[in-house]
Order: sequence, then C-alpha cells, then structure tokens
Amino acid sequence: MTSFTCDESVSLCEGNMMEVCGSTDSCLREFGCEQSLLSRPDGSASFVQGDTSVLAGVYGPAEVKVSKEIYDRATLEVLVQPKVGLPTVKERSQEQCVRETCEASLLLTLHPRSSLTLVLQVLHDDGSLLSCSLNAACMALMDAGLPMSCLFCGVTCAIDADGRIITDPTAAQEKESRALLTFAVDSTERKVLMSSTRGSFSVHELQQCIAVSQKASEKIFQFYRDSVRRRYSKTL
Amino acid sequence: MAAGFKTAEPLEYHRSFLKENCRSDGRELSEFRTTTLNIGSISTSDGSALVKIGNTTVICGIKAELANPTVESPGKGYMVPNVDLPPLCSSRFQAGPPGEQAQAASQFIVDVIESSEMIQTEDLCIERGKLCWVLYCDLMCLDYDGNVLDACIIALLAALKNTQLPEVKINTETCLPEVTSEKKHRLKIYRHPVGASFGIFDDSILIIDPTAEEEILLTAQLTVVTDEEGRLCSVHKPGGTSLSGEKLQECITRATTRQKEIQKLIDKVIESVKTAQ
Amino acid sequence: MKDTLLSNCERDFLLKAIEEKKRLDGRQTYDYRKIKITFGTDYGCCYVDLGKTRVMAQVSCELVAPKENRPNEGIMFFNIELSPLASPIFEQGRQSELSVKLNRQLERCLRNSKCIDTESLCVVSGEKVWQIRVDVHMLNHDGNLMDAASIAAITALCHFRRPDIAVQGEEVTVYSPEERDPIALSIYHMPISVSFSFFQQGTYLLVDPCEREERVMDGLLMIAMNKHREICSVQSSGGIMLLKEQVLRCSKIASVKVSEITELISKALENDKKARKAGGRCGFAESLPQERITALKMDEMPVEVTDVTEQAYDIIQKTKEPPQTVPSPLVPAPGVGQVDQGQQNTWGLEEEEEEREDGVEEEAVMEVEQQKEEESKGNIVEISDSEEEEVIILHPETPDTLHKSSCHQQGSATSKKKHKK
Repeated sequence: MTSFTCDESVSLCEGNMMEVCGSTDSCLREFGCEQSLLSRPDGSASFVQGDTSVLAGVYGPAEVKVSKEIYDRATLEVLVQPKVGLPTVKERSQEQCVRETCEASLLLTLHPRSSLTLVLQVLHDDGSLLSCSLNAACMALMDAGLPMSCLFCGVTCAIDADGRIITDPTAAQEKESRALLTFAVDSTERKVLMSSTRGSFSVHELQQCIAVSQKASEKIFQFYRDSVRRRYSKTL
Repeated sequence: MAAGFKTAEPLEYHRSFLKENCRSDGRELSEFRTTTLNIGSISTSDGSALVKIGNTTVICGIKAELANPTVESPGKGYMVPNVDLPPLCSSRFQAGPPGEQAQAASQFIVDVIESSEMIQTEDLCIERGKLCWVLYCDLMCLDYDGNVLDACIIALLAALKNTQLPEVKINTETCLPEVTSEKKHRLKIYRHPVGASFGIFDDSILIIDPTAEEEILLTAQLTVVTDEEGRLCSVHKPGGTSLSGEKLQECITRATTRQKEIQKLIDKVIESVKTAQ
Repeated sequence: MKDTLLSNCERDFLLKAIEEKKRLDGRQTYDYRKIKITFGTDYGCCYVDLGKTRVMAQVSCELVAPKENRPNEGIMFFNIELSPLASPIFEQGRQSELSVKLNRQLERCLRNSKCIDTESLCVVSGEKVWQIRVDVHMLNHDGNLMDAASIAAITALCHFRRPDIAVQGEEVTVYSPEERDPIALSIYHMPISVSFSFFQQGTYLLVDPCEREERVMDGLLMIAMNKHREICSVQSSGGIMLLKEQVLRCSKIASVKVSEITELISKALENDKKARKAGGRCGFAESLPQERITALKMDEMPVEVTDVTEQAYDIIQKTKEPPQTVPSPLVPAPGVGQVDQGQQNTWGLEEEEEEREDGVEEEAVMEVEQQKEEESKGNIVEISDSEEEEVIILHPETPDTLHKSSCHQQGSATSKKKHKK
C-alpha cells in the first residue's frame, strides 16, 4: 500500500576506475516470518517481504510413488501455486529453480526411497517473488526439521535505467528496471547456489549484484537465526 | 571391460577421466563439441535452421502468421517460442504433455528473446492495432545428448536470421490485407545472443558443454548467454552446488569467446547461402 | 501421497463422544469454530480461518467476448483449487470427486442464486463483457472446506473493485486505479453455505464438522442461505435418509448461523474500508501476529555496500581476458557450416608446419583456434573415428560439389593413414 522509499539509507559508492559505475540503493524491505502456522503440513512457514508474501508447506519424508522413487535418496517435488489461475510455464521454471536449490542444500541421501513435497502458495506479489519463495521454502524446510547441509536465502537485485542497483525491489521498481537478477546464496561459503536473470547487463554489474546479494544475505541469515532463536527460546 | 565399468560405476568412470584433465570422449574440460549449422533445412517454413552440437540435434522452424495485435500493446507483434523434447530424441522423455524440462527450456528461450532484445516486436507490426505478424518459433530436439539449451539458442538465432517475410499492405478500400509474396524482406536482428552451458562435476570441477551422460551425474548446471557487445542476457543457474563469483567470471569469459565463434559461423553460413543464390 | 487411515478405536471413540454430546474441541453441537476474516493488500483478496481450516479467495477480472446465448451478461467463473498444501491427499492438476463436488456447490450457491448483477458487467453488448474469476485456494484442510470457501468467495466478491471503463464508439478504455477509482460489483444478497453432518444414520447432528468428524460421518447436508432467510441451494450427500422435520430444523439453524456470519462479514468489510481510507497499511506484514513466538518481524534495513564495486572489479581483473580473435568456421557447402572444437588434432604433419608459419602473426590465438584455421585452409571434411561425431553433410544436388568434397574426404583419409604409418 504505502510506497517504499529508502533514500536516507543510500550508501553511495563511486567506482572510480570503471566506466560502468552506479551507486547502489541498497535496502531490504521489512521482513516477517511465521513458522508452523498450518496444522496439516509437517512444516510450514509464511514469509513476508514488504507486501510480497509466500506461504510454504512441506510434507515428508513419506511414501513415494514407485514411478518417482530414487534408490539412493529422497525425491523432492516442488509445486508453485499462482494466486490466479492454474500454474503456467513461468511457475514451472520457478519450481525448477527452487527445487534444485533445495536439493543442493538438503541431505536427501538420509531418506532414500521417500518423498518430500514442498508447496509454495503465492499470497501477494509485489516484486522479488522468487527470492521470497526461496526464503519461505528455507524456513518451511527448517520447520519440518529436515536435515540440511546449509541454509539458503534469496536476494533480488534490480538495475534501473541509471545503472543503480536496488535490492529487494517492489513490483513498480521491477517494472522500471532494465535488468533483474535473483540469486540464492548459501549460508556456509556465501556462494551463488542459484541465479536467474532477466534483461541484459554488463559483467561488472553482475559481479556487483552478486557482491550486494552476499552482503544482503548476511542480514537475512541473521533474521533466520533470530526467528529460530525466538521460536525455541522457551524450550531451550 | 571399459563399457562394463562405465555402466556399473558411471561416476567413477568419469572421475577417472577428469583426474587426467580430459573427458571420456577425448575432449578437454573447456572444449565444445563440433557444432554444425545448416540453414534453410525446411523449405516450406519461413525460416529454419538445424544445429548439431556433437550428437545433440535441434531443428528450428519459424512460421509467420498474420494476427491481431494484443489490446495491451497494439503497436507490437509477438513471438511464440516453444521447445519440444519428444520421446524420439531420448528414452528419458515420455509422450504426452511437455515435461518439466521442456517447459523450463521454453521459458528460458522466452526469457532470452526478451532479455536480449534480439528482435524489436515493433518491427512485426503492420498496422497499429489492426494487423501484426506472429512468429511461431518451434524448436524440436531430434537427438538429445546434453546441452540442448545452447543448441536451441543457436538454432533460433540462425532461423530468425534466415527468416524472410513477404510484404503486406492493407487495402484501403476492402480493409483486407494483401500479401505480395514476390517482395520479401529479411527480419532485422538487433542482437546475437549465444549461450554456453557449463556443468559442475563433484561440486568442484567445471566442464563445458556436457553430454547427456555427464548431465545426469552433474551436481549443478549453468548457462551463460552473451551478445556481441559482451553484455550478459542471461545467467541461468537453476540450482545445484554453489559457485563463487570468480568461477562464474571464468564461465563468462568462455561464453564471450563462444559467442564470437558462433556469430561468425552463422554469418558465414548465411553469406554462403547468399552467394549460392 | 496416500492418506493415513483412521484406526477403529479412534473411530469408536469419536462416535462415542458424539453420542454423549461431546466434541473433541469442546464445542457444543451447534457451534461454529472461530471464524476470522482478513484481507490481502489488493482488492478482492480474502482469507478465512475457520478453526484450523484456512482458505484464500482471490477475485480477478478480464474483458472477454460474452456467451452467444447471453450477449448482455457478464461471466462468472469459479474455481476451487484443492492445493496439495492443504492435505497430502490432494494432488495438483487432477479433478478429484471432492473438488468437483465443491465446485458445483459453490457455483450453485453463488452463480445460480443470482446474487451478483451480471448485467451490470456488460460493456458492449455482444462484444465485450467482464469475466469475473474467483479462485479459491485451500491452504489447510481441517474439515468443512465448503463453508470456509463460500464465506471467502462472497467476502472477496464484496471486497473486489473492478477498473472503471469508458466506451467511446467502438473503443474501450480501461482506466488504471490511479486515474479513476475502481468500482465495486453490485451484489444483491450474500448466500452462505452451512454444513451439517449426520452420524448413526441421522440420529446425531453436528454443525461445522472438523476433519476427524468428517471422516466418521454418515451423511452431509449443505444449505446455502442468505440473511433474508431465502434458501439458495440444498445438497444432501452420503446417502442418508432425512425426515422432513430434520431438514426443516437444519434450515432454522442455518438461518441463525447465516445472520451471524453475514454480520461478521459486513463488520470485517467495514473495518477494512476504514483502514484503507485512513491510509494505513493493510498488507500481510500488518496481519502477521506479533505476539506469537513462532513469528518474527524485522524492520526495513540498509545493506552495507561500500566495497562492492571494488570487489566486483577485483574479480573481473583476476580472470583472463578473452581472446580477441576467433577462428573462422568451415563452410563445406552453401547453407552448412561447422565450428570444430572437441577433436584431437589428427591432421598431417606437413600442414601443421605450414600453419606454424602463419601462426606467428597471431600469437595470442588459442591453440584450438589454430586447429580451426588449419581446417578451414585445408578445407577438409573431418572423418575422425571419434564416437560422438558422425556428421553426414547433405550437399545441395550439384554433382560438381559432391564430387569435389568426396575427393577431399579421400584425400584426408589417405593423408591420415600416411601419418599413422
């Protein structure tokens, strides 16, 4: 509803040696997360980034269909449900991105011949949807108590017409942007797990965006840590 | 003996090659397979191309049709790309509706077309709000041996460069379109995006242009699409093991070289067709 | 995923409790679970919590051509999506018996009851009308999906605003919400479905069954009614015989429940209207419960990016520059071209030496490229025995070229043999 402004927190940095240099308008919108909010799934979480919101639910490990069985690890299925209408090719490619990211971080070999189902329901799209989906997925997997080798988080960067990098853009900012890059960053080495881009950009811009995403991931992982700490504060 | 080892322990088999910095088909880690391009393979289509990367074969046919522009963008034509991975090309695909890989590939091609701005859809408009061209770009894989995305992009680009559209005018009296088939003009291609696919083996070893055998064993895949100005149109890594910025930069460097090679290839082939005519 | 079965002892326990007029969650026979209605950020988005059952409805609109037999009416489209999120037994993209049943009931409840003025949705008669689409997503299945879906759907329809339009001759302009305030749908009345479950062949009756109760029930009666006590639809399933008095009693209970729920909906709509008018936030970030231990919120925060440019620059600097020149491709016939990379150099020694002399000029060129140039110079069609490459190039039917290239092939084959010897 309210437009998102973050002029105050702009940190300008001049790339003095590069011809392509843009200042960076880096700021994450307010984050929110609620875990275990649904009674049926084994793990669930809703993740809110500004107005963008995704609900994730995980079922499993459970019995697997014979046709999908893998002998040495669990089969992970990811379903993305759009808000309006039936899933399209766009959702399929998002599913692929989320699934392969989760597969890389989950220790699937610990549950051979079983199935894991991750369902992502889009509640509202106001930009950075893929990164919000990734964050919701990670929180839901944590809530389900599935063994993972590392956590992951998603960061979306938009490059606007002036070459400025905007992190966690809103839908309006996405629309105006020249390029949009979404990365998944892992928690152990801060390397790029997933990358999905739209629009054209230079090599330097790409590397800058990766670096920005790595910085932003610190904040998101800290948020993960805080919310899990809060959640178990009474039991520990 | 080797065949048995390969079937029983495919991972170990490939590892033993990679240890020596080469691959089971005799390539080095950063070598592409032979890429062959044939333009105008389908004479009945408006534009077509056949691409082979090693055994992987992709054919692209372009069909132009007249249609009404959409309400949202009355001054633009549109493109409908579709990637088909039929059971014909590999035993891993089943008949019926397109599977996840085919859908993801189609979406990837759509993204590349949009991101690279290889075609200005305004060029496809004939009369604002009334008539425009629709380009149906059908990409079909005939033989699947890995790295189908690279082959698709090359096939699409070559086919578009080969496309000729007849001149169309709207008759002012009858308000019906009139097609002059004799006068044909080529489509203007603004950018030449070319992809390079990479695979990560055992979480660390970077190989280029993976075959189908290798693809199954990979822990991550990456496709970098660049255009002639060295701008990136897509850095598509759907997931898998993580990659540092430095490694990514190596991939990009390799991709830009590949772009130059392929663009030269396409230009040469188009030129050869022109001179033959 | 298969559903877990209900054990006999649990079934017996549930039925015993119902006989004793007790329910597992402590409710009375005619009690509804707690209903909570929340709205999303945009118009026409509504969430309904019915106990643990959670449902989301989203209304959207689109300009389409009307149906031929009704050229002056807009189109209503309902879709209940049994998302696998709600229960593991729901499968994506498959029409199950339950989803057909729920969709039919929702259509009867909202479309056939004529609660929405479809004629007001007509833009140009016979050409353009609004299609209103209601997507109901089940998020968590804890019984009585129908009631939750009907509440969510009608509330979302009340909440929805469609863009304003202007018709000038044949041209239709759609105004964005910034240009002109969007318009609400005209809704005559609000039908709400109330479900009754019967146990022991109709001896016992419960309102708003939860998931466990639904598993042991014998039959279900769904009555859709509005606050004017007009019945919009009655549906009985499960194959139980009901007496006239039983149905009448159910309709009386339904009328009470419907008036309660209608009041709740109007209150929720009014609250939301006030909040929107006040300009406050009403997105998801606001609806997140703050007090719960499982929830956490973090405010907007900046990201430190001072050395990002340097970092990026470093990485680019460290990697090798790509070579500036690339080899020429091989064009064996018009319309065919080849770039060769993956093959070992198996060419004759003489040619290689020739190449060296040329190569001095371009030292920066990669080794592979040299290979390529050799090929293009020699114009040899490669016939190496590598397993991956068996290209047969189809030449155009000019006998001349065909002859030539076969000569080349022979030539290369012989030179190779020589070399091997």
